[in-house]
Amino acid sequence: MQPTAVGVIGVGRIGTMHTHNLVRHVPEARVKAVASPHIDRDWAAALGIPIATPDPDELLRDPEIEAVVITTPSGRHVEMIRRAAQAGKQIFCEKPVAFEPQAIAEAIAAVEAAGVRLQVGFNRRFDPSICRLAEAVQAGEVGRLHSLRVINRDPRRPPVDFVSRSGGMFLDFTIHDLDTLRFLSGSEIEEVYAVGAALVDPNIGAAGDIDTAIVTARLANGALCVIDNSRETHYGYDQRFEAFGSKGNLTVDNLKPTTVTSYLKPGVYEDTPLPSFIERYQDAFIGELRAFLRSVREGTPVAATGEDALAAVEAAVAARTSLAENRPVHVTRRAAGAAEGGSR
Amino acid sequence: MNEIIVGVIGAGRIGTLHADNLIRMPGVRLKSIADPLIKPEAWSRRGVEPALDPAVVLDDSEIAAVLICSPTTTHADLTEAAARAGKHVFCEKPIALDPVRIRQTLAVVEKAGVKLQVGFNRRFDPTFARVRQAVEAGEVGDVQLVRVVARDPLRPPIEYVATSGGMFFDMTIHDFDMVRFVSGADVVEVHAFGAVLVDPAIGEAGDIDTAVVTLKLDNGALAVIENSREAVFGYDQRVEVFGSKGSVEAFNESPCQVRVRTAAGVRAENPLFFFLQRYQRSFVAELEAFFDSIRSDREPPVTGHDALIPVLIGIAATRSMREGRPVAVERQQRGRRPEA
Repeated sequence: MQPTAVGVIGVGRIGTMHTHNLVRHVPEARVKAVASPHIDRDWAAALGIPIATPDPDELLRDPEIEAVVITTPSGRHVEMIRRAAQAGKQIFCEKPVAFEPQAIAEAIAAVEAAGVRLQVGFNRRFDPSICRLAEAVQAGEVGRLHSLRVINRDPRRPPVDFVSRSGGMFLDFTIHDLDTLRFLSGSEIEEVYAVGAALVDPNIGAAGDIDTAIVTARLANGALCVIDNSRETHYGYDQRFEAFGSKGNLTVDNLKPTTVTSYLKPGVYEDTPLPSFIERYQDAFIGELRAFLRSVREGTPVAATGEDALAAVEAAVAARTSLAENRPVHVTRRAAGAAEGGSR
Repeated sequence: MNEIIVGVIGAGRIGTLHADNLIRMPGVRLKSIADPLIKPEAWSRRGVEPALDPAVVLDDSEIAAVLICSPTTTHADLTEAAARAGKHVFCEKPIALDPVRIRQTLAVVEKAGVKLQVGFNRRFDPTFARVRQAVEAGEVGDVQLVRVVARDPLRPPIEYVATSGGMFFDMTIHDFDMVRFVSGADVVEVHAFGAVLVDPAIGEAGDIDTAVVTLKLDNGALAVIENSREAVFGYDQRVEVFGSKGSVEAFNESPCQVRVRTAAGVRAENPLFFFLQRYQRSFVAELEAFFDSIRSDREPPVTGHDALIPVLIGIAATRSMREGRPVAVERQQRGRRPEA
């Protein structure tokens, strides 16, 4: 079977990473075109990509291109999904699909109307450790699930101009953790309570966002969950997960560049965690693209759907409301036809 | 140095533990122990005078310090009686579940001019003391996040649940104190999610067995406590303080440090089974600190204020869970004269 022709729309930081991964690590794909307003043609040529264009339509019009990877700024995701769906392309889109549940619902409708697949960039669902944890939980290795814990802390604070267009910490950052709760538990988030503060950088607070948060949640299966977030650790990318239940506790620890332990006079030292999401989730970023291509080629369902994107954004929006109004908030499930709003 | 003569009231599990530690402790002499269910031979054999009536301890002018290890409902009365008798008092937590009652007791203690220390033993655990030291020395910078995991190995008997005052007062109270201790900050607001996931009988008794409690601290930091009444693998006691320069984390302790590697996997020892094993050293250290404060006439390291605050946090947590909203912790200024 020939590799599937793929186009990448938007080649910022994450789009560049996906392009490199597609070219080097995804044998099921052949990157035929990249589109971005400030496209670097030499870069594309060096990767053996035939078409480099500022115009995404050039790529969408190409009948040979079967699948697109959308990595534009988040604000343009829905529009690009709609156009790609109308052009009959299979779609991989970075998270968040949109900041508002309504917009995601529209994207899902467009995809369904066109009869194409949409996979969302919840990369953690393809991390070997997190997958193993999810399998264990769902196979009952911890017995009845009582609690989940996610520690997600970035190595270094983002630039303030990024913060102001990120959609806020819950939609930009915590959204991965909210999806992880759903992925690990196989259950839905019913209620969230969020506290947050700007403790890392007052400028983040001045821009209207937070950089430190604790989000607790109650799942439909009764389990209680904790997410803790920071925008700056100084010691690397801190990614830890825990599932506790009636039969025990499973934990996922940080990955380190090496396993050397140094026993020295001032103390015992080991490597700090891998420095950023690029290194920590390298396998997962490759895995999600390969899984997407397999779904496209074999006609099987994708592992991170538009509905998953919608559910995570709904939970993030509830967390945002909880923070703003300082109260626990029930998650409004559009898909389940739940009523609007809702304090308990 | 003069020997401190000590009496113990209450010879249950924790009273016996303290008494045995006192017997081995230099610089102190355990003279008598009182309990309505006392087994006299067991104590005579140890060289300790057994008594049925606490008055035997309280009326003994030779006794300078008393440990109150009786059931919780008697703590306040006995602490006051001991203070009025001019004895320094070490009281197990909590002094009472009613803050008004605690304040009365603190006023009596203050008027009597005796020392009072409350049994928040975990502060004296070498591991958690080191966490506090790292925070105090600024190793992690400004505190931003605190997380406490505290899980018991085995669900308590239902009769115990009914008289415990509820999980927040019986179990989480240690974690409220731990958050205050390691952060050096006070708790201003609490939100609690609670559930009955371990044992439906606990729910029928009106309590919970699983909880996630979020706390806002007065220095702006955020904290979270995770509790369960039953972790089948052992006593799960972990703390992390995360700050502007990094994080300090305390892990579980095991009886020994081995790894068994086979084709089936790599197996390490479970954590120490329960608090008697895990906090063995802390129970000795808290008493040594109490006697040091008597000898040097300094404020004990766990004060009456420290005894009161976790109860106020527990009240806020209980109300939060019941009403489904965050609840402010009643303000109580440090060093404020308690109303009599």
